Amino acid sequence: MAIVLEIFFVSLSRSDLPGHSGGRDRDLTSASAQHFISKVKNVMLSARFCWRNASRSCQVYRKSHSISQQLNAIVHNGRPDPGKSADASGFLSGKTVAVKDNIVTKDLPTTAASKILTDYIPPFDATVVKLLQQHGAIISAKTNLDEFGMGSHSQHSHAGAVLSPFSKNGVPLSPGGSSGGSAVSVATGQCWAALGTDTGGSVRLPAAYTGIVGFKPSYGLLSRWGVIQYANSLDTVGILARSVADTKHLYGCINAYDQQDPTSLSATVRERLGRKGADAKRLRIGVPLEYNIDELSPVVRATYLRTLNALQNAGHTLQPVSLPTTQPALSAYYVLAPAEASSNLAKYDGIRYGYRTPGSDASAKNNLPLYASTRGEGFGEEVQRRILLGAYTLSSEAIDNYFIQAQKVRRLVQRDFDSVFAQQHPLLERQAEIPSDEGGVDVLLTPTAPTLPPTIKEVKQQSPVESYMNDVFTVPASLAGLPAISVPVRIIGREGDGLEETDVHDVGMQLIGQFGDDELVLQAAEVVVQ
Amino acid sequence: MTAPSNSTLRLQYRQLYQNSLRYSLLGTRLTHRPALWNQVRKSHTVITADHVPLRKQLKDEARRKKADKKASPKSSKTLDPRLSRWELTVGLEIHAELNTACKLFSPAATSLNAEPNSHVALFDAAFPGTQPQFQKATLIPALRAALAFGCEVQRKSSWDRKHYFYQDQPNGYQITQYYEVTIGIKQIQLEQDTAKTILQPPSTYLLDFNRVGTPLIEIITLPHIHSPTTAAACVRKIQSLLRAVDACVVGMEMGGLRCDVNVSVRERGTTAEGLSEYAGVKGLGTRTEIKNLSSFKAVEDAILAERDRQIAVLESGGEIEGETRGWTIGQTETVRLRGKEGEVDYRYMPDPDLGPLIIGQDLVDHLKDILPMLPDETAERVVNKYGISTKDARTLISLDDGDRLEYTEAVVETVMQRLASLPEKQRFDKVGKVVADWVLHELGGLLTTAGVPWEIQTVTPEMLADIIVHLQSNQITGNTAKKLLAHYASLQPVAGAAIPSVSEIIDASGLRLVPLTEGEYVEMAQKVMAENPDMVKAVREKGQRGKIMWFVGQMMRRGEEGRVEAEKARLYVERLLEV
Repeated sequence: MAIVLEIFFVSLSRSDLPGHSGGRDRDLTSASAQHFISKVKNVMLSARFCWRNASRSCQVYRKSHSISQQLNAIVHNGRPDPGKSADASGFLSGKTVAVKDNIVTKDLPTTAASKILTDYIPPFDATVVKLLQQHGAIISAKTNLDEFGMGSHSQHSHAGAVLSPFSKNGVPLSPGGSSGGSAVSVATGQCWAALGTDTGGSVRLPAAYTGIVGFKPSYGLLSRWGVIQYANSLDTVGILARSVADTKHLYGCINAYDQQDPTSLSATVRERLGRKGADAKRLRIGVPLEYNIDELSPVVRATYLRTLNALQNAGHTLQPVSLPTTQPALSAYYVLAPAEASSNLAKYDGIRYGYRTPGSDASAKNNLPLYASTRGEGFGEEVQRRILLGAYTLSSEAIDNYFIQAQKVRRLVQRDFDSVFAQQHPLLERQAEIPSDEGGVDVLLTPTAPTLPPTIKEVKQQSPVESYMNDVFTVPASLAGLPAISVPVRIIGREGDGLEETDVHDVGMQLIGQFGDDELVLQAAEVVVQ
Repeated sequence: MTAPSNSTLRLQYRQLYQNSLRYSLLGTRLTHRPALWNQVRKSHTVITADHVPLRKQLKDEARRKKADKKASPKSSKTLDPRLSRWELTVGLEIHAELNTACKLFSPAATSLNAEPNSHVALFDAAFPGTQPQFQKATLIPALRAALAFGCEVQRKSSWDRKHYFYQDQPNGYQITQYYEVTIGIKQIQLEQDTAKTILQPPSTYLLDFNRVGTPLIEIITLPHIHSPTTAAACVRKIQSLLRAVDACVVGMEMGGLRCDVNVSVRERGTTAEGLSEYAGVKGLGTRTEIKNLSSFKAVEDAILAERDRQIAVLESGGEIEGETRGWTIGQTETVRLRGKEGEVDYRYMPDPDLGPLIIGQDLVDHLKDILPMLPDETAERVVNKYGISTKDARTLISLDDGDRLEYTEAVVETVMQRLASLPEKQRFDKVGKVVADWVLHELGGLLTTAGVPWEIQTVTPEMLADIIVHLQSNQITGNTAKKLLAHYASLQPVAGAAIPSVSEIIDASGLRLVPLTEGEYVEMAQKVMAENPDMVKAVREKGQRGKIMWFVGQMMRRGEEGRVEAEKARLYVERLLEV
């Protein structure tokens, strides 16, 4: 007798959430979306207020760049292993790959740039690390990051801030985050390529800020077994490299089903992905109107327009499209990611591994919850802020207004994308009305970030909410689990007026494709770079 | 008639065993220890639990029974006059460990008494970067339990994280799940167990993560129970039901089943207005929850104590606070643990790593088909088939995890086979009833007196069947039959040594009944009467009929071993005494 026991994973959004069936979420009008945004801003502000009161005694960040010339991109250097690198037959034989320090390695400590994982050496290798080694790559270093991946400038690290090789008026620029260490390692030639993780733009943003390529594949393609969770429904392993070709090369080696990751797409699903014989000779390129925001800086706007013109001149078609949920998407992201983070980081209690406060941590007499000291000392400021935020939005009084609403917004974001792509979403049931082929686009082209990288001084002056704005263009693709890549486009002529010699001279351009269309996105990236 | 050779014995046992295994074919393990009478089983059993826990289990059970007996005079408390004014309402929340080979989300083995921290997968200890891997096989016993309770299995369900900080919960959250159900039981859900914490005074806690992630089912009943005894009986019934379908095999005594109770009282005759509602049951008083009760007795006593406390508070004009309370065996009062304000907000969140679980109807149907008979159904079948009383049937079923019933059926079957080869006039009716009597009362009594646990008793179904057949066909006396049984029960099995069969012993020891002739009976009776004129007088003149049996006893004693049948002796004595 055949016993059907199926476990489906719907990677994009949770359609089984209460009150989230049928067409109910269509009621969420832009007015209520606006209302939602303002509510989210309020809760962020109040969380910030709570935080300020709670954290007076918290340690002040130490600037670690006192060691001059150090960009602090690396937290642990790898050991060269001649035995493994001697295997000349591997696809990555002899190539050095740096790995973000939130991906576990059993030969090197893995700290996620957090004090709570001080000196932690994991008992196993992440699947992606194993695959790299199997293909002959040398793990050259573990790279610095924003603690647990929470940040956009790689400044929130227990190992000290990462500095960009570029600077303005002698002040280093932000390397972008949270995979800033990986980006800087690649940009400065300390390794051939690097692995990062991208939850809301953490691979694409640092790539854009350091003038390299950053690729976030579709959710579920690269194994997350051994990737320290920040927000599992968004976390994706990503690749940083100096060229699209290198990116493709590395991606091909680690793109495999992994039964240890319950969200890894099975072989049968992989077969359904993408288009057979997709080619980027005549691309239909979507230009989202909502990405033309006031905050877009002149140099980014100019480079963006020039890129679009060049593509049209090369025979590709441009098509204006509308993604109305772009603004609420950012708010939804900053509800969902902290909510998952507050849950995922609950395991750090100092009992089984990592940092533990000296003395007792179960002080019932102070009426403090268990592990209050360990967690209070072990987590940095930004991590604590997001845990508080997440704990609040999941609490019984707030979950309906924040977490559930944000899940609905997430579904709308995915619908937005589905309505503009010519290709149908391969994981969704085929709908009766198939959008006409002419109506859809192949890829979307947007800037990766609204501005060039700020200096780290400017970053410090930003409020948390302001710094969250940096992710406005990268977050939507993360919420929908779509493949997205940031490629550097050179700033030329008058566009670069006012730039110094030491300044970054590239603008990151982002290409987003339909779920599973990773090949096409990579091909389109080659086109844009040319 | 010859004794069955060893090989045929074995074959029969094997068939029996396979029958009993039919509900265990889907990869779950049996943890019953095979009884010694059925040694062949051993080689088939995937895992044989340690002998010690079972002994302990039996001891605990005996202790519990003793305690129950002791406590029974106290239960005259239930005649409390206040109870005519106040009505008790109880709901149960039962956590039972599922009978699975591995944990819910990791391939680590489940274990009972293993070396601490020897069965812990990376995910169980919440190592960063590890993810849950749902183990499909754990579904089977959970579904069996759901079916046993008549629950409707939801086709699609999802996993939720329930957050709280405690050292026995390494991830900081528990993954739990909901099934939709009906009938008296609100819901059954699947979830992970926690680690074991052992306190090392003064302030060190040792953690054993072996239990972390062991699948549990939580069974929540509606508040439909109104007496402490019923509540305890309900827990017992749920345990036996879970055991019957092989869903949960570790009993309450071993910590495989734990129970929380919700208790409230309300004044009789009050309307629903202004009172609490729970799961659609209206008009309840404010309820308190008593956590972590680990025995049937604790369930009963804790409810009793809490009921009396609530009545006392209400009668003195106070109000019941919704709170969590604790109970320790031996205490007379429940103790407040935390109030509502101390309640944890569990911040339920769908687990982003785990997709929805979709259960095919064909799997549910298949499990339904192979679900073993439930205790109630089995009792009915046994009553109908063997013509024994419902009480005896229930006793047979409840003893030794069904082993006693299986044994009885094996004896009945053998007796029937033997009877087929006997001449018509030596056959007898009511085989089932006779056999059940012997298994329960004669064999059961013997074992109890000798303090021998069922698992290690040595009388095979063939031995008992032969004894019964010989007795019922008047080849031996009842007395001889009992002696034979005692002989077999006290055998120390010696490997390789052949055990003489019943007929061999009968023939060798000359126990076969050669009935006395009428003349011999009369002669013997007259002799006894002549020697005891006072006794004769007592019966004849004073009408002390009870003394007739004294004469019978005398005749039995004088007669050759096994030859005097009490019934016949009584007939002759009565005739000669003219009564």
